Amino acid sequence: MSSFLPAVAVLLVALLCLDLHSRVASAPICTHGPSGCHVLSLADLFDRVIQHSARMHSLSNDLHSEFEQYFLPSKNHIGKIYHKCHTSSILTPNGKENAQKLAREELTEVILKLLMAWRDPLFQLHQSMAHQQDFNSFSSNKALEMGDMAHELRKGVEKVAERMRVLGMLGNSVTGLSAAEAMLPISDSGEAMSNYELLYCFRRDSNKVQNYLKILKCRIVPEHDC
Amino acid sequence: IWCHLLALTRNQLHPPSRGPHFTGCRSREQETFRCWWSAGIFQNLTEPGTLRVFYQTKNALSEWQECPDYTHTVKNECYFNKTFTHIWTSYCIQLRSVRENITYDETCFTVENIVHPDPPIGLNWTLLNVSHSGLHFDILVRWAPPPSADVQMGWMSLMYQVQYRVRNASHWEMLDLESGTQQSIYGLHTDKEYEVRVRCKMSAFNNFGEFSDSILVHVAQIPSKESTFPTTLVLIFGVIGLVILLVLLIFSQQQRLMVIFLPPIPAPKIKGIDPELLKNGKLDQLNSLLSSQDMYKPDFYHEDPWVEFIQLDLDDPAEKNESSDTQHLLGLSRSGSSHVLHFKSDDDSGRASCYDPEIPNPEDLAALLPGHSGRGDNHPLVSRSSSSIPDLGVQQTSEVEETPIQTQPAVPSWVNMDFYAQVSDFTPAGGVVLSPGQLNSSPEKKKEEENEKKIPFQLVSDGAYTSENTARQLSADVPPSPGPEQGYQTFPTQAVEGNLWNGEYLVSTSDSQIPYLLPEAPPVPILPPVSGYTVVQEVDAQHSLLLNPPSSQPAICPHSPNKHLPAMPTMPMGYLTPDLLGNLTP
Repeated sequence: MSSFLPAVAVLLVALLCLDLHSRVASAPICTHGPSGCHVLSLADLFDRVIQHSARMHSLSNDLHSEFEQYFLPSKNHIGKIYHKCHTSSILTPNGKENAQKLAREELTEVILKLLMAWRDPLFQLHQSMAHQQDFNSFSSNKALEMGDMAHELRKGVEKVAERMRVLGMLGNSVTGLSAAEAMLPISDSGEAMSNYELLYCFRRDSNKVQNYLKILKCRIVPEHDC
Repeated sequence: IWCHLLALTRNQLHPPSRGPHFTGCRSREQETFRCWWSAGIFQNLTEPGTLRVFYQTKNALSEWQECPDYTHTVKNECYFNKTFTHIWTSYCIQLRSVRENITYDETCFTVENIVHPDPPIGLNWTLLNVSHSGLHFDILVRWAPPPSADVQMGWMSLMYQVQYRVRNASHWEMLDLESGTQQSIYGLHTDKEYEVRVRCKMSAFNNFGEFSDSILVHVAQIPSKESTFPTTLVLIFGVIGLVILLVLLIFSQQQRLMVIFLPPIPAPKIKGIDPELLKNGKLDQLNSLLSSQDMYKPDFYHEDPWVEFIQLDLDDPAEKNESSDTQHLLGLSRSGSSHVLHFKSDDDSGRASCYDPEIPNPEDLAALLPGHSGRGDNHPLVSRSSSSIPDLGVQQTSEVEETPIQTQPAVPSWVNMDFYAQVSDFTPAGGVVLSPGQLNSSPEKKKEEENEKKIPFQLVSDGAYTSENTARQLSADVPPSPGPEQGYQTFPTQAVEGNLWNGEYLVSTSDSQIPYLLPEAPPVPILPPVSGYTVVQEVDAQHSLLLNPPSSQPAICPHSPNKHLPAMPTMPMGYLTPDLLGNLTP
């Protein structure tokens, strides 16, 4: 037993010495490219983000349909169709050609602005839905999920933008969105928007985000002769 | 255009009850849209130009503008081309009669909500497989997205719905929405003609487009039924035949099978005893019979050489009534091997033994034991192990050699040991009387200590052992013996009896004299706390231990003359070590 002690001590010292010489700084996980680990290509990133936005839009559509079904049986009512959304101040391309003509940086910025503008209102929407007795928990869970997805999507788009910047596809004119205005969802009359109006607006905006992302992908990642 | 025509025909079939109104607005590809209206019952307004469409886009709150393009080829249609189509923008359109300045109808919408995609194209089907019976088949249906929809860029992401029905039936079967451009249909019947059609809508929107043209699906039935028919018949008949055979077999071999599956329970057999006697015989006869059997041997223990050497001191008054068994023990003839250990039990109970020169050296004993015992695991030495159960029965010889050689470091610790209990006597009932280790400590404390330590008392060969703890618990109400003797403890009969006659025990059978292994030679009145130790002096041919009282006791034992023990070297600690065994010779 006693004879082991010096050997153990030597071993410990050796290990410590090895540790001292080893790299202390954290190394990037994927340093060797495809052989090391799976590095997502920009196309894959775009696909993921687009899938995410599709899912988000589908959720918003479901919630909006529920609202219409239970609370607003009459459609095409003049007074209720047009809602001024709080994101109306953001200039967005209103058609396919317009979006295609827009510069990449501006398009990316528009997407990020939209997503940023919905961060707080979605949270408010979930809160108000959770508190009201009219909705079952299923609907309020959907609202919560929707809010989370918007947040995730924003993070994803930021990553995509970062990657594009690294690859030199984006100029540096994209602002860091540090000046993201806290947009309060206020309707024309100055009151807070109702849940239905919020859902209507978000459904529209999520569709915008989805389509813009698709157009952006088509321009950035050349495939299928977009 | 289709829809418009449909609306028009509807209007003609059912006279409209309302005035001029919009019949619908649609977009096909989310880039342009059209609106249609009808004059209604106001026939005087059917002339073109009387009714006009004005629209307003609500985002800029612009003023009302007139329809950018009245389609020339189609009546009452307003077409908004790409320039005038703004997605995600609310439109409101009005149907006005300019002459009268009346607004007959107004409707608002956003373009993405009025998108009805064109039907898919290129619908075709391929046969996947046909079932074995030839009655059913599966097909794979394929199509292409409508050319007007920009699916490649993803401007429109479409979901498709396939429907099918038996031709000319009234009800269409609907399949789940499919995002790809193909779908399988399972379970169609051969020899039936099917119609299949498909339509699409934008995902996450609710407006389906028109159906595509139906395609006909038909698979002729392959006449293969006859092959299946005899197979089933053969199978059925085969099974029936087999069952009949089995039944016949069982019935013919019934007796034999009964024996195999339900063997009779054997009657009890006692050798030499007539079963009838058991039923009818008297008790005396039975007893005599039974006693003559081999299994009941009252004299069995006489032949055990080990037991010969158990000596009982009959002078102890407290033990007189318990001496019958021990007398029995003592009455054994001596047989012996060269290496028989004497078990000295002549001590006055609890006191130092008289036989100070007769305690063998631990070394001698140790030397004796390994050479003698063929089974090393039979080492009957009492050894002190402070932590674990010193199950001598399973210890290696070497281990056993070590332990006794371990001289006790300190007397007090040794003295305080409660590991071992010395069997001092046997009760007439067959119980074994143990002597406790310590006299001074309280029984509860002893019990606690014993609870922690494992059983020191070894009944070697059979593994049967009792602990002092157990012994104490069992004999909790045994009154402590007066005087120098320490309390005896009795074992339950069943724990001991069966093994008693099989040999190796560390048994101090002295009824009154308990041989002690004392570490030192304290004066007689001072009772050594450990009194239950005996020096193993000899191991006989049957690997039984013969114990000797420690030789270090200065007490004068008046019962010395009856000792058969050979001269033993002094054992300092009272242990019997293998090397001590060497010194033990009868």
